[in-house]
Amino acid sequence: MSLVIEAVAAPTATNPKCSSLRRGFHCAALRLQDESKPYKPPTSSSTTYHEHYQAHSTEQDTTAASQGGAAADPAEEEASRPNTSYQDQSGEQGEEYETEEQLQARILAAALEFVPQHGWSMVAIAAGAETLGLSSASTGMFYNGAGDLVLHFIAQCNSQLTEILAEQHKHVQLGQAEPKKTADFLRDAVETRLRMYIPYIETWPQAMSILLLPHNIPDSLKHLSTLVDDIWFYAGDRSTDMNWYTKRAALTGIYNTTELVMVQDSSPDFQDTWNFLDNRIQDVVNMATTAKQAQATGEAVVQGLMGAAVTLKNLTGMNQRR
Amino acid sequence: MAASVRLLVRRVTRLSHGHVTVCPSGPSGPSGRCCWAPSSCRCFSDDRNTHFGFETVPEAEKAKRVYKVFENVAQNYDVMNDAMSLGIHRLWKDTLLHVMNPQPGARLLDVAGGTGDIAFRFLEYIRSQRERQRRHVARSMQALSWKDISDVYAAREGGEDGPRESRAVVCDINKEMLKVGKQKADSMDMSAGLSWVVGDAEELPFDDEQFDIYTVAFGIRNVTHIDQALQEALRVLKPGGRFMCLEFSKVRDPVLARLYDTYSFKIIPVLGEVIAGDWKSYQYLVESIRRFPDQEEFKRMIEDTGFYCVRYHNLTGGVVALHSGYKL
Repeated sequence: MSLVIEAVAAPTATNPKCSSLRRGFHCAALRLQDESKPYKPPTSSSTTYHEHYQAHSTEQDTTAASQGGAAADPAEEEASRPNTSYQDQSGEQGEEYETEEQLQARILAAALEFVPQHGWSMVAIAAGAETLGLSSASTGMFYNGAGDLVLHFIAQCNSQLTEILAEQHKHVQLGQAEPKKTADFLRDAVETRLRMYIPYIETWPQAMSILLLPHNIPDSLKHLSTLVDDIWFYAGDRSTDMNWYTKRAALTGIYNTTELVMVQDSSPDFQDTWNFLDNRIQDVVNMATTAKQAQATGEAVVQGLMGAAVTLKNLTGMNQRR
Repeated sequence: MAASVRLLVRRVTRLSHGHVTVCPSGPSGPSGRCCWAPSSCRCFSDDRNTHFGFETVPEAEKAKRVYKVFENVAQNYDVMNDAMSLGIHRLWKDTLLHVMNPQPGARLLDVAGGTGDIAFRFLEYIRSQRERQRRHVARSMQALSWKDISDVYAAREGGEDGPRESRAVVCDINKEMLKVGKQKADSMDMSAGLSWVVGDAEELPFDDEQFDIYTVAFGIRNVTHIDQALQEALRVLKPGGRFMCLEFSKVRDPVLARLYDTYSFKIIPVLGEVIAGDWKSYQYLVESIRRFPDQEEFKRMIEDTGFYCVRYHNLTGGVVALHSGYKL
C-alpha cells in the first residue's frame, strides 16, 4: 500500500522510462489497451456534441429573441449615454475617458433622485446605475454601500455652499454688496446649507443614522469640520488663538442642533427651524458680549480692589518707607 | 507487497474494462492527429501543448480529458466536495454571494456551474431580498392617508409591470454534471427561474450583453484557454456587469502551505478512491490547482482582458481566491 502512495505522491512527470515496477505495469497495460482497441476517430463523439451545441444555441437564440425587447432598452440607454469608453486601462486620465472615481460620482449623483423612493440604500444606487445604462451589478463597486451615497451627498452640499459663499464674498469685494454682520452672515450660511436637505427631509433621519455608524464617523466628522471652517472663513474670522476653537465649537453646536430641529419640524417652510436658529445665534452672540463684559468687569473689579488695598495700607501707615 | 500488487491488479483490470478511459498521451500517443470539428475555427498545430495536471498534453486533447474526468465524478461530486473541503466549500460559496450582493432583477450566468450550487444560492438570496423589500414597503404603507392608499391601488391596477424577475442560467460543458444539477433542483423544488444550458466556456452560446453577473466557481482552471474564457465573459456581460471567479489559489503562509500540500497530495486522492472509486480524477484535481496562476497573475489576466476595478479576496488563507472585475 505504501509503495502505491509513494509512487503517486511524487508529481507524475512525462517520463516514459517507467522506472518503478508499478509504472511498468501501468505502461504495459496502457499499451495493451492501445493495441487491442482501434483508435476511435474523434469525429463521432464531437459531432454529437456539436449537434447538442447547435440545438441548445438555437434554443437560446429563440429565448434571446423573445427577450430582445428587454435587451433593446439597455442598448438604447447605452446609445444615449455620453461617450465613456474605457478602451485604455493605462490611459485612465485621458480627456474623453473617465476615471473610475468619476464614474462612481456619476452613479451616486444619479442615485440621489431615487432616494425619496428607496431611502439611502443599495437599491437607490442600483436604480441610479440603471439610469446610466449600467447593470445593477456595478453597485458592488461601493463597498460602503449607503454610506458612500450619504457622504457623496454631503460633500456635494458642502461644495455648493462654498461656491455660494465665494460668490457673495466676491460681490462684497467688488463693492456691489454690503458686508453683513457676523450674526446675520452665520444665520444665512447655516440656513442655505440646511435648505439643501429639504428634498430629502423625509429620509434624512436614516441618513443621519448611517453617518453615526462607527466606520462612517471619521468621514462625517471631517465633512462637518470643513463645513464649519469654511463658514467661519467667509465670515471673516482670522483668529489664531483660542478663539479659533471656541468659534468653531459654537458653530458646530448650532448647526447640529438646528439640523435635529429641522428633521422633526412640520411648520410651513420650516419657519420654526429658522426661528430656533436665530435664537441660538443670538445666544452665542450674547454670550460672547457677556463674556467680554464679564472680563472687563472682572478687570475693573480687580483694579478697584487693588486700589482699595493700597489706600488701606497708606492709611494704616504700612506703606511708609523708613 | 501482496496488498499493493492486488490493488494494482484491480486497477489494471478496471482500466481495461474501460471504466476509466485514460487516453494515450504524451510522446507515446499517436501523432499527426488533426483537430476536431467544433473547434475548427481554432486549428492547433500539434506542438501546442498545455498542462493536464502535471502532465503535458496537446491542447486539443485537454478538453476531452477534462470532460471524462467530470463525467466520472458527476454522481459523487457534491459528496466529494464536502469530504475534501470538510464542508468549507459551502462557506466559500456563501461568501461569493455576499460579496456579489445581487439586486432583485439581476440575471446570473454561472459557467462551469455543473451541479448548480451558486445558482441555487443566488435565487435564495434574491428571494430573501424581495421579501425584505416587500416588508419594507408594507411597513411604510401603514401610516398613509386614505388618499395615498387609493393612489397605490390605482397605480397597481394601472398595469404597471411588476419588478423584473431574476433568472439564473447554469452553463456547463458536461451533460452529466447538468443532469445531477437538474435532479437536485427538482428535489429541492427550486426549478423556477433556472435554466440549464450545455456550452463551452471558450465559446458561450449566448448573445452579447445578456447578463448582469457572470460567475465561475472552481471551473476556470479546467478551461484550456483561460484568456478566451475571459473574453467570452466580457462579451456576454452587460455594461456595468460584474465578473466573479472563485478558484483555488496559492497559499502564502509557508506553514499552511506545507499542511495544504500534504493534505492535497496524500489525502484527497485516497478520499477519491474510497468514496468515489476514482483516484486519477482527484489526482488531476489537486494537480490542476497547482498549475493555475496565482492571485496577482490571474488579476493581471483579468485586467488585460478589459475588466476594471479588479480586486481579489483571499479566503481560508489563500486556499481560495475570489476575483472580481467590472465591465465598464
